[in-house]
Amino acid sequence: MNTPTSVSDPRTAQCFRLVRCCYAEGTAELVYAFDAGPELIERIHFPGQPEPQPGRRKAFTQALRLLHWVAGTSYYKAGVPAEISFDDEPIDSDSAALLDTLYRHGLAEFAYRNQLQLGDRIHFPADAKLPEHAASAQLSDRVLVPMGGGKDSLVVVEALKSMAAKATAIWVGTSPLIAACAQTTGLPMLNITRELAPELFKMNRMGAWNGHIPVTAVNSAILVLAALLYDFKAIAFANERSASSATLEYEGQKVNHQWSKSWAFEQGFSTYLQRHVAADLQYFSLLRPYSEIAVTQAFSHLPQYFNHFSSCNRNFRILSPKPADRWCGQCPKCHFVFLALAPFLPKPRLLSIFGHNLLDDESQSDGFDALLEYHQHKPFECVGEGAEARAAMASLTVRSEWREDALVARFRQEILPQLDPQDLPLEPWLQAASEHGIPARYRPAMQWIGGD
Amino acid sequence: MNPPSLAVDAPWIVLKFGGSSVSTVSRWQQIAALATTRRQEGARVLIVVSALAGITDALHALYKASATQRPSEAMLIVAQHQHLAEKLGLHRPKALRTQLDALVSLCSCPSHSSSELAWRAELLAQGELLSSTLGAAYLNAQGLHAQWLDARLALLATELPHRNERTRLLSASVRARPDQAWSEALAARGELFITQGFIARDRSGQTVLLGRGGSDTSAAYFGAQLAAERVEIWTDVAGIFSANPHQVPDARLLTQLDYEEAQEIVATGAKVLHPHCLSPLRRSRVPLRIHDTANPQLPGTLIGPTKASTAPSVKGISARRGITLVSMESVGMWQEVGFLADVFAYFKRHGLSVDLVGSAETNVTVSLDPTENLLDSDAVARLADDLSTICRVKVIAPCAAITLVGRGMRGMLHRLSPLLAEFGEHHVHLITQSSNNLNLTFVVDEGLADELVPRLHSLLLRTGVLRADDPLCFGASWRSLYGQDKAAPSVPWWHAQRQRLLDLAEQGPCYVYHLPTVRARARALRHIGAVNRWYYAIKANPQQRLLQVLAEEGFGLECVSPGELQRARGATAKTSRLFSANFASQEDFRLATQDPNTLITLDGLHPLQHWGLWFRDRDIGLRIDLGRGLGHHEKVRTGGVFSKFGLALDDLDAFLDLAKRIGARVTLLHAHLGSGVLDPHHWVRVYAELAGLAERMGTVAALDIGGGLGIPQYPDEAPLDLDALAEGLAEVQRVYPQYELWMEPGRFLVAEAGVLLARVTQIKSKKTLQYLGVETGMNSLIRPALYGAQHPIINLSRLHAEADTLYQVVGPICESGDILGKDCRLPRCREGDVLLIANTGAYGAVMASQYNLRTPATETVIE
Repeated sequence: MNTPTSVSDPRTAQCFRLVRCCYAEGTAELVYAFDAGPELIERIHFPGQPEPQPGRRKAFTQALRLLHWVAGTSYYKAGVPAEISFDDEPIDSDSAALLDTLYRHGLAEFAYRNQLQLGDRIHFPADAKLPEHAASAQLSDRVLVPMGGGKDSLVVVEALKSMAAKATAIWVGTSPLIAACAQTTGLPMLNITRELAPELFKMNRMGAWNGHIPVTAVNSAILVLAALLYDFKAIAFANERSASSATLEYEGQKVNHQWSKSWAFEQGFSTYLQRHVAADLQYFSLLRPYSEIAVTQAFSHLPQYFNHFSSCNRNFRILSPKPADRWCGQCPKCHFVFLALAPFLPKPRLLSIFGHNLLDDESQSDGFDALLEYHQHKPFECVGEGAEARAAMASLTVRSEWREDALVARFRQEILPQLDPQDLPLEPWLQAASEHGIPARYRPAMQWIGGD
Repeated sequence: MNPPSLAVDAPWIVLKFGGSSVSTVSRWQQIAALATTRRQEGARVLIVVSALAGITDALHALYKASATQRPSEAMLIVAQHQHLAEKLGLHRPKALRTQLDALVSLCSCPSHSSSELAWRAELLAQGELLSSTLGAAYLNAQGLHAQWLDARLALLATELPHRNERTRLLSASVRARPDQAWSEALAARGELFITQGFIARDRSGQTVLLGRGGSDTSAAYFGAQLAAERVEIWTDVAGIFSANPHQVPDARLLTQLDYEEAQEIVATGAKVLHPHCLSPLRRSRVPLRIHDTANPQLPGTLIGPTKASTAPSVKGISARRGITLVSMESVGMWQEVGFLADVFAYFKRHGLSVDLVGSAETNVTVSLDPTENLLDSDAVARLADDLSTICRVKVIAPCAAITLVGRGMRGMLHRLSPLLAEFGEHHVHLITQSSNNLNLTFVVDEGLADELVPRLHSLLLRTGVLRADDPLCFGASWRSLYGQDKAAPSVPWWHAQRQRLLDLAEQGPCYVYHLPTVRARARALRHIGAVNRWYYAIKANPQQRLLQVLAEEGFGLECVSPGELQRARGATAKTSRLFSANFASQEDFRLATQDPNTLITLDGLHPLQHWGLWFRDRDIGLRIDLGRGLGHHEKVRTGGVFSKFGLALDDLDAFLDLAKRIGARVTLLHAHLGSGVLDPHHWVRVYAELAGLAERMGTVAALDIGGGLGIPQYPDEAPLDLDALAEGLAEVQRVYPQYELWMEPGRFLVAEAGVLLARVTQIKSKKTLQYLGVETGMNSLIRPALYGAQHPIINLSRLHAEADTLYQVVGPICESGDILGKDCRLPRCREGDVLLIANTGAYGAVMASQYNLRTPATETVIE
């Protein structure tokens, strides 16, 4: 087959092809194409160039295919063609159902932003018959903790340390901030890097569709491969309860910015892994029972991380000792983490973390209004629920050291009178919910986070 | 070989050496040499030493370790001392062995009889006991007859009321005053002593510690008790500087300070001395001198009684971060007896110590330092609760206190106006000035301090409020003493071209451009690997030959008007061009779209909204105003709003929507924030910020981080560090490899390549001022009048004569502002001499005018 080299606008393509995937010398290659266009090759590098153990070959092959399909979201979205096809081998109905769901929900925000109707377009053909149930891969009792540089994964790290679990910090990408956070945990570390196909950038410049993809799903699939390569039985994510709530509705479908962090995704993915990849593989979120507020409270007891972590995803690519370089102070993540920590930390300590008092800055009022869902919809970011934010803010109005700050005073005067006082206490947010997929082996870690 | 015995009343000199000064063989050799020279001066010597570097921390760790871990940790400490002893050529000295055994037995059986805190003090004291024992052995081995003195026998801690056991044992203080009987008794025992810093005894004979920085304080106590001739502190820096040299490399060494000024400076930030060590010396009028152990030839800082003869000057500027303000508002306080007493009682109750205080009729605002109690307990919350019962409270943080120190501050206020103007742009929360007239403090948002302090220091130098020219008070800059400075500044190109320039000047005033210098600058920039494409901002100097040379060096051309586009095309048609006009007309853009090889950059919504057709199916650039993003503080934010350049960040989504609808692709994202910048980190931040934005935009292929690369304007200003710039940019590029990086310098490439030549016309005296007139002025060079720019001025006809006369160099234009150079030191000039005004290759000829109908200077190029 000829391999054309020139890239054309993927929006005119008829078909998105999953061409092939392979793994050699520590690098997974995932290959895609639009119509008969050039091959788009994504490469994922695993340090130490591990080889799958002979007993895990089958599981590994299936995990690699899964990664190929899931990471396809980054490429598919450039053109969203009507047809999706598999060059190498067809997929079964379970896989097709998983992918239909993932692509529809995971790309819902992308569709909303670009005003596209995706729901009826995305249809993965299921032409293979269901395989037998996957066997156990005989994985060791060790757990991978994906690091994000923010508070959540650090809470998971400390909760796992409290039960002396054998944990390894793992992250995908080159962020120096995440590397520094991982270093601070003192855990063994694994850093996986990912190279997108360079043609994708060219396509973007030609006006390809662009926007949010379900990146946690892609990272999850990468970690599944890592678990098989490096011999880990468990993958403990740090996704909270609030990750399951939608941002808004569009075309009759709920749009959730963090859908691939939701309970629905976790359940579907975990079930799929045990049925199709390895029966003993445990994929779960240790923070699922908790609200953002509860996790933030747990984090407030970890001063060792205060000068290292950042949840801001605007400024944190470059490492710097200055708070202003870790926290932009303008984005929803900054607003939310600041507000959620405020009830639990001494005010001067909190302000020293951010380098700026966001609640005494009137120019930030729109941003906080969005968090409170006051006149605004919830931002497209991984932040807590509006009711959580309102409870945190309400708790500050009765704190003498906070109540005169511009935005707290404004909340007290303008917004608070419109709210039902029964909805405002913080305490209910600190309770753990019963809905979660944490294996019995890791439930002792929940005691450290608290709230049961 | 010992000097002859000293008289009974021979003076004492106290020498104090810190941890890094007692940890190597060469440093001990130096200590021995210093002890010898001081004795040769006819003084008795008392040496005070800290523990070996790292030992106090190791003892802390030992204290915290479990009983089972302690012996092995102790053995590490023992090994470190034995190792140094061996290197010093000492064979297991007995005294050291005894002392080491004491350490081991101390940690293997924590004392039952004494308290935990007492045991801790005893344990931590071992570091100094060991180092002094080792030192005594070494000095004696060198034949110096040094006697080991137990500091605890000499220093008795003062009993102070309201002190708990912890501060009494671990942060003790001594009321040291001259004690003639004791010093005579000591003199009777010998001439050279070595003792410990950091430790003293209490009335019961128990070991107590003097707290952090305690060794300096010990030296001061000994100096006071001995009524010493002086105390010398030997450390790792020459002395106290006019600002934190890590932040302000141009900070000057303060060669002389009085006690009070020194006390203010060290209390407000300088880390060289511990603030506690000055008051015992001030009471006994004992001077203190700081020296750099590694560079003993440097003058250092001398602190002593006030000298009336020096000019009034600001001596230093410092910033303390992490300050919290508590603002208390109440009508009730007006003329109310006891209100403040009540307020301060609450601070005391919650263990918070108040530093600065500012008050109005209905408001009192105080500052709190960032203590552990403030940051990690609920003290502020409880304080605010209590205060809220009597007034309205607001807790403002994080702030920084920026302090100017200098005797007679109020007398200098009128000269501080340029500095006050800097503050005017920011939010100042509090200003304080105390009656001792030594300081002036501004409390501002903490984020401002890092940028503000270097700028204020530079203003202090420029305005002469900090009299760096007074050799009695000020020494060299930190940069010249310690900076990794590049080789001595190269000789400017025009030295070698002097005769040619003198000949050219005979034709009348003219600009001369030296193309090899332009090429050299261009190549220096091309060396920065991270930058994929360079553009020359031709507004700096659109002279045709310069454009050709820069195009040959691989530079594209950045134009801001149809005229510039035409000039660029005429000079070199093939070279790629950027068109980034600001508030240009529809017609301008129409012309630009017809220009091949030109990428158009927009910086507002209007062109897309109203003339969208011009941009259909085109790649375009977008200049964004990062205003809010960069630095995240008021100054930049207002800077954003008040600058006419760039698209407001708030409009970004609207711009992208419009572009998409029209079918224009935003492939270039651009920001340019300022000019004359010498801090390489500036572009690194712009780069990172643009990359973050570009990631959300999708179509962007290149990031243009602008120009503004500065050249030094004032004597002593260091040139832009291109290596640091290259390194910083490369770091960002590793994170964002998908974007090309573009830059567009102007002035940096051409300024130093150009000179303006003009002959002297007349000379006039007015009282003390000498005016030196030249044949052209602001009609040729308007930068001094417009920006207050400073250009070096040289008498080229008398290049090697001594510059002994101060001139105001002025032009012939009928404007008081027609001054090319203020206070220029030149050789005595005559009519017809040729003056050379340097660094005028940028924004010189291109900004010239026909004002007064005088033809401006012509232009010539030297290949």
